[in-house]
Amino acid sequence: MRLPQFTYHSPDTLEGVLALLDEYRDQAGVLAGGTDLLVRMKHRLTLPKVLVSLKHLDTLSYIKETSGMLCIGAKTPIIDVIRSDKVHQQAPALGQACERIGAVSIQHFRGTMGGNILQDNRCIHYNQSQFHRSGRQPCHKDGGKICYARDEADRCNSTCQSDGATALTALDAQLTLNSTRGERRVALDAFYTTDGIHPFDMQPDELLTQIDIPVVPGAVSTYERLSFRSAIDYPIVCAGVRLVPDPDDSGCIGSARIVVGAMGRSPLFLAQVSRSLAGVTFDDTAALEKAGKDAMNAAAAFAAHNAGAELAYRQAMVEKMVARALTQAAARPSARKAR
Amino acid sequence: MTDYTLIGKRMPRVDSRAKVMGKARYTADFKLPGMLVGKILRSPHAHARILRIDTSRALALPGVKAVVTGADTEGVKWGVFAYTRDQQFIQTEKVRYIGDEVAGVAAVDEETALKALDLIHVEYEELPAVFDPMTAMTTDTELIHAEFPNNINIHVNIDTGSVDENFAKAYYIREDTFTAPEESYFHGEPYAVAARFDYDDCLEIWMPNGGPHMKSKPLSNAFKIPLHKVKVKKITIGGAFGGRSEICPADYICALLAKKTGHPVKIVFTREENTIATRQGHAMITTHKTGVDREGRVLARETTCYMDGGAYSSTGPIATSVPFLSMEQAYRMGSVRYNGYRIYTNKPIRGMIRVHGRGFACGLDTQLDMIAEHLGIDPVEMRLRNSRQPGEFTSTGSQVWSCAMDETIKKAAAAAKWQEKFGKLPPFHGIGIGTNSVQTGFPMGIRGGSQSFIKFNEDGEATVMSGVVDNGQGNENMLVQIAAEELGLLPEDIHLVSADTETTSSDPGSYSQVSTFVGGQAVKNAAANCRKKLFDVAAKILKTDPDKLTARNRMIYVTDDPEKSVSIKKTVRVALLNFTSVNAEGGYWPKVDMKREWVSNPYGQMCEAFSFGTTIIEVKVDPDTGRVTVLNAVACQDVGKALNPLVLEGQFEGSVAMGGQGGMLTEYHDWREGRCLNPTMLEYKVPLACDMPEITGIIVESVDPRGPYGAKEAGMSIAMSAAQAYAGAVSNAIGVYMDSFPLTPDKIVAAILEKEQANK
Amino acid sequence: MQTIDITLTINEQTHTLAVKPNDTLLEVVRDYLDLTGSKEGCGEGVCGSCTVLLDGHPVRACLTLALEADGSAVTTVEGLADEDTLSPLQQSFIDHGAVQCGFCTPGMLMSATALLKEQPSPDRKAVRKALSGNICRCTGYAKIVDAVEHAARPEPGCPDCHTKDTGENHD
Repeated sequence: MRLPQFTYHSPDTLEGVLALLDEYRDQAGVLAGGTDLLVRMKHRLTLPKVLVSLKHLDTLSYIKETSGMLCIGAKTPIIDVIRSDKVHQQAPALGQACERIGAVSIQHFRGTMGGNILQDNRCIHYNQSQFHRSGRQPCHKDGGKICYARDEADRCNSTCQSDGATALTALDAQLTLNSTRGERRVALDAFYTTDGIHPFDMQPDELLTQIDIPVVPGAVSTYERLSFRSAIDYPIVCAGVRLVPDPDDSGCIGSARIVVGAMGRSPLFLAQVSRSLAGVTFDDTAALEKAGKDAMNAAAAFAAHNAGAELAYRQAMVEKMVARALTQAAARPSARKAR
Repeated sequence: MTDYTLIGKRMPRVDSRAKVMGKARYTADFKLPGMLVGKILRSPHAHARILRIDTSRALALPGVKAVVTGADTEGVKWGVFAYTRDQQFIQTEKVRYIGDEVAGVAAVDEETALKALDLIHVEYEELPAVFDPMTAMTTDTELIHAEFPNNINIHVNIDTGSVDENFAKAYYIREDTFTAPEESYFHGEPYAVAARFDYDDCLEIWMPNGGPHMKSKPLSNAFKIPLHKVKVKKITIGGAFGGRSEICPADYICALLAKKTGHPVKIVFTREENTIATRQGHAMITTHKTGVDREGRVLARETTCYMDGGAYSSTGPIATSVPFLSMEQAYRMGSVRYNGYRIYTNKPIRGMIRVHGRGFACGLDTQLDMIAEHLGIDPVEMRLRNSRQPGEFTSTGSQVWSCAMDETIKKAAAAAKWQEKFGKLPPFHGIGIGTNSVQTGFPMGIRGGSQSFIKFNEDGEATVMSGVVDNGQGNENMLVQIAAEELGLLPEDIHLVSADTETTSSDPGSYSQVSTFVGGQAVKNAAANCRKKLFDVAAKILKTDPDKLTARNRMIYVTDDPEKSVSIKKTVRVALLNFTSVNAEGGYWPKVDMKREWVSNPYGQMCEAFSFGTTIIEVKVDPDTGRVTVLNAVACQDVGKALNPLVLEGQFEGSVAMGGQGGMLTEYHDWREGRCLNPTMLEYKVPLACDMPEITGIIVESVDPRGPYGAKEAGMSIAMSAAQAYAGAVSNAIGVYMDSFPLTPDKIVAAILEKEQANK
Repeated sequence: MQTIDITLTINEQTHTLAVKPNDTLLEVVRDYLDLTGSKEGCGEGVCGSCTVLLDGHPVRACLTLALEADGSAVTTVEGLADEDTLSPLQQSFIDHGAVQCGFCTPGMLMSATALLKEQPSPDRKAVRKALSGNICRCTGYAKIVDAVEHAARPEPGCPDCHTKDTGENHD
């Protein structure tokens, strides 16, 4: 499959990249690992006139801990995240999520952490060849007025299938975005627009540079996902959770973050269900399982038939994924200590 | 037992060195000077009339060398049989599925060719389309092919008589319906074709194929040129699995573009094209009604199968028969009535595939398990009571000369520890057995036999010419192994000229599991004739009788006095000095009933040998998610004689992956309005290394009296029985007999929930 | 269309090539350099048939721009053997019957070569994981896993670890 034509730039500095993004804006595409962008370009789903490569920006590849934050450069290869002790200690859900991305030979160093967060929303009716999409009306995301995933839908129901974004939302991560206009920070759960066509609240001149994960003492996190195959597959349902023990050392959960992925246009942070776990003891299996059920009820309505598995099945599996993630998190050594 | 040098030995394949070095050339790797890039314009509509095609803008694009449409063709329609000629290579009047060929383009590069496709303007009048075979039979919308009423393409009816009488005698009767959607091959290599016309107006053409001679004849018909002017050339092939046997419209379009431009042209399919525009496996709705006596012996069976054939006939009559034939070979059925209907729909064309009839076979075995449970009989015992026995005739009148079905069942059961496990496993663990039989060959008329020619070179090495093609299963190695064994040479002394229609004689191809039995046997006979000539010369040199000689390890020696010997090289040279030929030919024609015909007369000797396979699978099901983990896989087949256990094991293992793991757990096509939603490897879930269980392969040798060294089909009865065993194992694990395949997690979870609710 | 000069060291040979921005590394090795051992099986980074080593790491050549590889060392399947002497892994693939149609073989070899460099004696689970991005339709992976597992460490009980002299030797 041949790529469409474009011009290529690979600036040596961050400033150089930002200047190009400022110049070309909507017409520019940022090339990190290319595992998502180049496939969409091959299918003519996106046709950037200019590709701005981050090839020389090795300064954006790092994992470090500073002032209560685990900071990951946006260009950090997935494999570095998987192999990072810091990640496995401070943000195990992210390590688990990254292990499930693609397959080893994609992860190794083409795929990047930033690229995984910014992978475009997907839909089995949209992520198809140009030929497949011909001979029928274009869908919302393809510039038309129809949704093939949900009958009569007046807007796009594409799904965020990023493993990393789901785990990072559970970890309450923040993003740093840079542009020639300066730098801004945004909480990941506020980064999404709920518009399947343009899922990210991000200006075309902005570049994702860093992901910050707060290091919360005693916090435990896990990630669970379901897919048909053990590798080279996107999740059809996934869940990331973080549990923070009560500061009084009472053996109870102080606060929880439950996030369901691959169901909606963005990772779904279920605030109400999360709140319901405050004050619950870590070994209260019934409460954890009930949270799974509540999560399913809260998340199910967001899903459309667009991920290659029966919708009802994916919806039902939310309960299992959330309950499993919670049970696993509650059983982690640091959580056990909190009991 | 005969003491062979090479036969029966674990011999690494002769073609693997080039493959591990990246030197093996597949069609897409093949380049010729001045070669153009060809692309095909395909219908975006499932059913539409073509009103007008305007190619002028495409032709005007710089770099475009030719555009062809149906108007450039001789109008010849393709069909495997005279009564199924329903497919034009480029459509002129209407398109019948999304992907149907409408035009072809040749240009200097891919970008230009793709741009040219966009510039071809086709005006369509969309017609109502049908995607479901049951609807297709009753709809009053325009027929897909006017000459086939009710959109019924093929009806195969088999009736042995006494069916109703025997049902009346039955102690227990069950009727159940089973369904399975389409599946695809997903060969490693996407389809590709390269073609040119040479200085003598001969068409030279390279493509993956299941038999070069099966390609040359339709091409000669389509171009209305003599057969010798079509030279299908040898090229490395990246898998076939039944899907590359027939001519592909792309072959013709590529050749037509080469003819029109005077340049070589190459068309390489995208993965999506390989899925939608070659062949697929049929979707099926199968109803089995089975009557048994008190002991579980089948007295009567009636099977009705509706097969979604897609837009054209393809191998329709064969495809409508094979699922039934495999089961009538495997099991004694008492009396039987079969009605198979292949129905046109506006979907991609369905043909032959490795596991042909997963819904059919898995349904039949599932029903046997249901009957066994009702009667309190163990499933293994149930199969032993109904299994084919050597010397018997199948329901349609084929005699089965060699058969070790019972041995495969018993050995597989022992290796899988069936007695210790069946009925004794923890909750959501299960074990299942499948048994199947596959035919070694079909009646193929004048192309049923194979001929080989062997010539000796003056250095004592030999060149073997054979029409047999290697799709990846190891046929080349098989030919080399047989020739070296017979001639007393080492494998490296044998040089193959094969799968080329100019230099090799007609051959049935790798189609119908017949390469070893027919093509291998032809080489064996040619080599034996060659050896006889060598022995005549050597006998004079060694002053003994030819029948007292043995050839081995490049030497000919007196069997009882090995010290007396002469090298093969010297023998060849002496022969040449004495004006004596040591070259020879040999052929093999299977003794089938030439009057047997798929639709008009489906009775008589089908082929000469049948393989028998048993697979046992043990699984664990996650009741929450429906995900299946395979704990143990045992595959046991009666292959007649294992010529090369190393290659055979590989066939077994690949069969379990494709038939069982993929075919029964994850693989199926998903559609919306005739549009395939999972045409690529991302969404069509072929099993991966990390998904596959460890597999125990067990070879059983019944030594077929007619096969070369006793060999017959190998591997395919594992692919089919694996599907059945996976189905049985999952059903056993969850305590629900599943009737809709493949057994994806959603269906498993739903079945578990339904059962729980029913128990409440 | 713009072309840009790049330098690639492919199988230890340095090439300066004028490539187009939309040329992938796969197109460059196959079409410019006629190294057709690397295959395009899907073109979208799923099947793994195009896997090459880029500075020692396995990557999908179909999803790597040639420009992104500028200045890098690339190993393709053609670079595994030392002239006519196969790498132990290549020999092991032959001996264990790990090759059927052979289309996935180059990609498998590249992924496995990278694995063995990091882990000379991987167990079967590690092998299966390392090969999980390479699809094979013929073998069911069993003999490929055998071949990788036994490449560096012949297994005493394996019938195929000692068959090296029966097959392909030319004297």
